Amino acid sequence: MPKKKLAVYTATGCAACENTILDIHYDLGSLTRSADIVFWPYVLGSQWDGLNEQGPVDVCFFAGAIRTEADRIAAVRLRSNSKFMVACGACAAFGGLPSLTDIHPGTPENRPEHLDEGNEFLLPKLESRVFALEHIVDVDYFVPGCPPTRDFLWAAIQSLVYMGDSPARMSFAASRLPMALAESITSGIVPPRGSVFAGEKAVCASCSRIKEEKKFRGFYRPYQIDPDSGRCLLEQGLLCQGLATREGCGGLCTAVGAACRGCFGKAEAVFDPGAKMVSAVSSTFDSTEASEIEGLTKTFVDLAGTFYRYTLATQCALKTPNAEETKHAPDNS
Amino acid sequence: MTRFEPKIIAFLCNWCSYVAADAAGVSRFVQKPNVRVIRVFCSGMVDPSYVIKAFASGADGVLVAGCHPGDCHYLAGNIKALRRSFLLRKLLSELGVEGKRFRLEWIAASESPLYAKLMNEMIEDVRNLGPCMRSSQKPLKGVA
Repeated sequence: MPKKKLAVYTATGCAACENTILDIHYDLGSLTRSADIVFWPYVLGSQWDGLNEQGPVDVCFFAGAIRTEADRIAAVRLRSNSKFMVACGACAAFGGLPSLTDIHPGTPENRPEHLDEGNEFLLPKLESRVFALEHIVDVDYFVPGCPPTRDFLWAAIQSLVYMGDSPARMSFAASRLPMALAESITSGIVPPRGSVFAGEKAVCASCSRIKEEKKFRGFYRPYQIDPDSGRCLLEQGLLCQGLATREGCGGLCTAVGAACRGCFGKAEAVFDPGAKMVSAVSSTFDSTEASEIEGLTKTFVDLAGTFYRYTLATQCALKTPNAEETKHAPDNS
Repeated sequence: MTRFEPKIIAFLCNWCSYVAADAAGVSRFVQKPNVRVIRVFCSGMVDPSYVIKAFASGADGVLVAGCHPGDCHYLAGNIKALRRSFLLRKLLSELGVEGKRFRLEWIAASESPLYAKLMNEMIEDVRNLGPCMRSSQKPLKGVA
């Protein structure tokens, strides 16, 4: 079997997704026996010129949101060079934290100026807003998470790199993936385009905490309380987004008492994570008095930033870019 | 320039508000034609995602109307709608949808003049606010 070629790149992001690739530990060694990582600026210091010499790439793991012109150019270039484009991490898949800037985008006057040609270092121009990768180029697969969990990333790498060649690896990957995805990779078929390498239900399904009747008496920010170890965090007044969020992490955060922040994006059946959370949280208000409910509501801060923390660019129905702003725009080259 | 005609989506409960809207028509009260009525069985079934989807698909205002508290056909469905409305309005305003564009009202079956008055009032309020940010949007796909 000829060695596969991999590319890894981070646009506007923190490179934690790339660290997660390193985080597969010894398996990285076994990966490099069957694949060459031909382009990875963060770790290998690869140059863009080198990418051309390498020829077509089999799998590109693209992390980070599209915030600047440079990000867009990188996305378009890697897309045209790669067979599979994988949006890796919440920023590439959903816009991630960078897309929160679009809640208060500011005015054209207060956006930073693109420096003139006379300067030695040019800052790349800002895009009109923050995009997820799928807004700019066609994306084949998504690996959500901030950063993606090691298991899913490794499962994604294996199913795309080995593609049925190694049954042992396939069964490892399959055991961690939803059934439809698992069946396709074990039978050596490429997963359907647009597949998400994560679970299908909500995080609550894999959270081990005991859920009883929910009665919300007040909202707390994480530093304000020390939650009981066994009970549902939402019942205790923490704004846990597990019920609107795609599972797959196994309830990592909720297990240690941190409320779910929604980094896997919305669960399959949810229309809009914010609407789902509003519905869920307010139905637990323990009051029928309008004034009392209003008082309770006032204790909440930054709902938009909380409910769409990682997903504003793609899953917030009111803030997703319209067709003119995305890849169909005439300025897309 | 032509005057801006807002689009209002009204979710009316089957047992009170829809009857009032029906009666308002039969009684020939003057009503502006900017409302698209969606009959629901209870204001309590209007999930926040319906409201968000309406705005995202190009509505300029959304009205949810139900029976007065205590009169709900399903005992407390309207209280459920009331509970959600505050947090929903807060979320909408953070996303740039002004508070006046989303209203929750109690309209009994016998209050058809009130229905006509509220609707006309809301249409003018929304007209003054101007088009909602998503007015040019095509209808969204997906189940709310």
